[in-house]
Amino acid sequence: MKKLFLMVVLLLVAFGIAGCDNRPVLNILNWGEYINDEVVENFEEEYGINVKISVADSNELFYSKIKSGTTPFDLVIPSDYMIEKMVEEDMLFELDYSLLPNFDDVTYMDGVEQIFDSMTATTLARNGQTVDYKEYMVPYFWGTFGIIYNNRVDGLEESLEANGWATYFDAATYFPTARRGMYDVPQMAYAAAMFYRGLNPNDYSATLLEQVRQDITTANFTEWGDDMLKRNVESDNLDMAFTYTGDYLDRLYIQLAEGKSLEEVRSEFDIYIPNNTLVFIDAMVIPETAQHVDRAHQFINYLLDPEVVALNSEVVGYATALEEAYDIIISYADSTDEEKRNWAQANLIYYNKERQGEFYPMTTLSAQAIDAITSMIQQVLTE
Amino acid sequence: MTNMTSYPKATLEEYGYKDYSKFKLPAKIFKNFLFILIFIMLYLAIIVIALQSVNSSVRTSEFLSVTFNWYPNILQEEDLMTAIRNTFIVSFIATFIATVAGTFFAVGLYSLEKKKRQKVMLMNNVPMLNADIVTGFSLMLMFRLLMPIFPNIFGLFTLVMAHLFFTFPYVVLSVMPKLKETDPNLMDAALDLGIKPYKALIKVVIPAIKAGIFSGMLLALTMSIDDFVISYFNTGAGFDNLSIWIYGVIGRRNLTPSVYAFSTLLTLFTLAGLLGYTFIQHSKKGKKSELK
Amino acid sequence: MGKVFKVLATPYQIWLYILVFVPLIAMVLIGMSNYDSSVSLNQIELSLNHWSILWQSQNLIAFRNSVVFAILTTLISIFLGYFAAYHIFQSKFKNKFIILTIVILPMWSNLILRVDALNNIFSQNNIFSSILGFSPFGNISGTPLAILIGLVFTYLPFMILPVYTALEKIDYALQEAALDLGLTPFKKFWKVIFPLSLKGVVTGSIMVFLPTLAGFAIPKILGKGNYLFIGNVIENKLLSSTIFYNHGSLLAVVILIFILGSILLLTRFDKEGETLL
Repeated sequence: MKKLFLMVVLLLVAFGIAGCDNRPVLNILNWGEYINDEVVENFEEEYGINVKISVADSNELFYSKIKSGTTPFDLVIPSDYMIEKMVEEDMLFELDYSLLPNFDDVTYMDGVEQIFDSMTATTLARNGQTVDYKEYMVPYFWGTFGIIYNNRVDGLEESLEANGWATYFDAATYFPTARRGMYDVPQMAYAAAMFYRGLNPNDYSATLLEQVRQDITTANFTEWGDDMLKRNVESDNLDMAFTYTGDYLDRLYIQLAEGKSLEEVRSEFDIYIPNNTLVFIDAMVIPETAQHVDRAHQFINYLLDPEVVALNSEVVGYATALEEAYDIIISYADSTDEEKRNWAQANLIYYNKERQGEFYPMTTLSAQAIDAITSMIQQVLTE
Repeated sequence: MTNMTSYPKATLEEYGYKDYSKFKLPAKIFKNFLFILIFIMLYLAIIVIALQSVNSSVRTSEFLSVTFNWYPNILQEEDLMTAIRNTFIVSFIATFIATVAGTFFAVGLYSLEKKKRQKVMLMNNVPMLNADIVTGFSLMLMFRLLMPIFPNIFGLFTLVMAHLFFTFPYVVLSVMPKLKETDPNLMDAALDLGIKPYKALIKVVIPAIKAGIFSGMLLALTMSIDDFVISYFNTGAGFDNLSIWIYGVIGRRNLTPSVYAFSTLLTLFTLAGLLGYTFIQHSKKGKKSELK
Repeated sequence: MGKVFKVLATPYQIWLYILVFVPLIAMVLIGMSNYDSSVSLNQIELSLNHWSILWQSQNLIAFRNSVVFAILTTLISIFLGYFAAYHIFQSKFKNKFIILTIVILPMWSNLILRVDALNNIFSQNNIFSSILGFSPFGNISGTPLAILIGLVFTYLPFMILPVYTALEKIDYALQEAALDLGLTPFKKFWKVIFPLSLKGVVTGSIMVFLPTLAGFAIPKILGKGNYLFIGNVIENKLLSSTIFYNHGSLLAVVILIFILGSILLLTRFDKEGETLL
């Protein structure tokens, strides 16, 4: 008992020893493993600022942390729908672009521009207000959603490329015995079904709901989950699943690190990104309660430098928002470093800036809509 | 005179004795086999976790090669270490308070009249038997209603309170039987000797119920350390414990095998600690009998 | 014990009264309101509109699933758990402590890790198939069998401990008396030991039945989300991005009725809660 107590005390002391620092501070709230430490260190050196990064793993947590104000964060990186909510509740500072000179030298990827348009549209539809979200946010990373598939199944790849969403949803016609998986988030299932019908996933009505119900029933999903979806496709326990493209790249990089080649991995499992699909964006915003607004702007400006963004994305598997950063990354295709080559290839294949498509982020639907969708999915499950 | 010995003797079978001895060996084998099977059932998941902790691959579906790197790597994973630290802080605080206060509560309850005591024991069962999700959620609701008065209530405070809620009953239930087993004269004898009641309590009764206190503490710690649902609802300010962290990570990012390593370490450490404790107990007893 | 110590019980009584009743009352009230995450605290008002969820088909089915699995798990656990407890009870009368340790030890590992580990080996391609070349459990992941196995494996300790405790409390003299009176070992068990250990069986059953009834993690992971349990329904209401406090409260109250009923049943058998450990 005494020993346990002693151990506890020692542990607490060990963790309690915090570094003492006299440099000016910048408080950032970010997702876990979502920034390259090298980038942070470089920034700290260049600007002489002490960057303190706190971590949260859900948008709701981001929201409640800012609302509670116990630690006044200077810079936060939430996702699209949460930014919409924060703007609606006047929680965000309007950006001063005079402090962001790097902005004039960069171009946002087409998908990112589409996200901005979509967010403005859904906000207008929801509360009649026209909001230009560029006033509040600078993109950090974004990503698409795709259908991760088991390439060990003959003909699956060809069918997806020829028939797109239909291969995934129409289980009666295509590969009836294939094992299909879907995210355990009702709104995502709804969105996917809407894309299958070529519609806007943020449109909701009772009639649309019925159509979605039909499609989800036909799809005959054998697995509803999250993290397990990508892992099961990878290990040949599942054939198709609708997931983040980044999920696929996560597993790809793991396999590459274990010695497989890009072709080898792709022959086992790959991801098909439809022309109309879901996207998401995480962006840098400054809360109204920030204490060091200037320093926050400095950091944002720093992350508008394509070189920095390219360095940052070495560690994070999602797509960069800047075309210039993308160009830097794919220039590594000729690199002698195999890792860099693979990474460049992956970006070329999956995050190609030339990619045309219809991209929509999910917005916050009304509570009744969410409830109705959830109930519908549960009814399909229990039938 | 009839010769008594010429009457046929009754056999055991005619008395109704059935000879099952030929079943004895297969029954024994079957019983041991089933017991081992049950043992495997309890530990199967632990074994798989242990395997994953030495798997050189991050992918859990394939075993590549044996490596022990994930163990020292635990210290490198900042998020994991924070979650572990938080877990220990909360659980140790809660267990400590629960054990000390719970023991005194048990003494108090023991002193009550039977009817009153049974009423309280009935309520004592509620935290233990209530569904996690109901307890966690209802406590959260209650704390939420207090938020206008204490806006920053959610965090370590609510977490510890919630943990205390479901750990007190275990301590009380562990100590009560031991209290019943103690000789009632013990207390009277101490009082007769002029010791004040509370001092007598500490110097006489507590040592007598030591085993109960210890097993109560153990149970409280077990329940507290792995709690997820109740903690999830009642934490705040990002004070995640290990369970909440795992729940979050397992859904989004790739779970580092260091978590498996930590879990295995915890299991081994606890096992070693408790076996060591039993060992010391036994050698103490051995020494006592030597003294005689 | 001295009457002077009665006062020690008072703070605990107050604690229990507050923390047991206030949250429950809060929950019952919220269950009759319109409170969800789109409503702020000062907009709460009485509303019974959502009570229609009580007879929505998926919720009824979910409830049925929970009850059926809870009963099955309990029955299997009684059989296996009693056997294990009895086996331990018969063999070595060693330190109860070691038994407690060994049975409790798996519970120190995170539940989600453990269930995830089981899910791993229930799939076709898993860590065992990678080492052994075949999957000992076949491909049962996502089936009701997987859920049942997972539930039994996880909650078995909750049956073993109370039964063992109850067995330990049986006065050995009674056993000797039974044998002296000519009962066969089997009859001795059935007529003497088992009835006296019933307390433990009831406790164990409740301790297995209740968490299984309200659980959501195990069915969700091992059933691959294909089977809806009432715990999953409540979880969806309370743990997703849109929180329906009123729906969740209402459903929770329904489960609570079950739980309180079981607690009352338990106190009939075991007034002092001795076998709850």
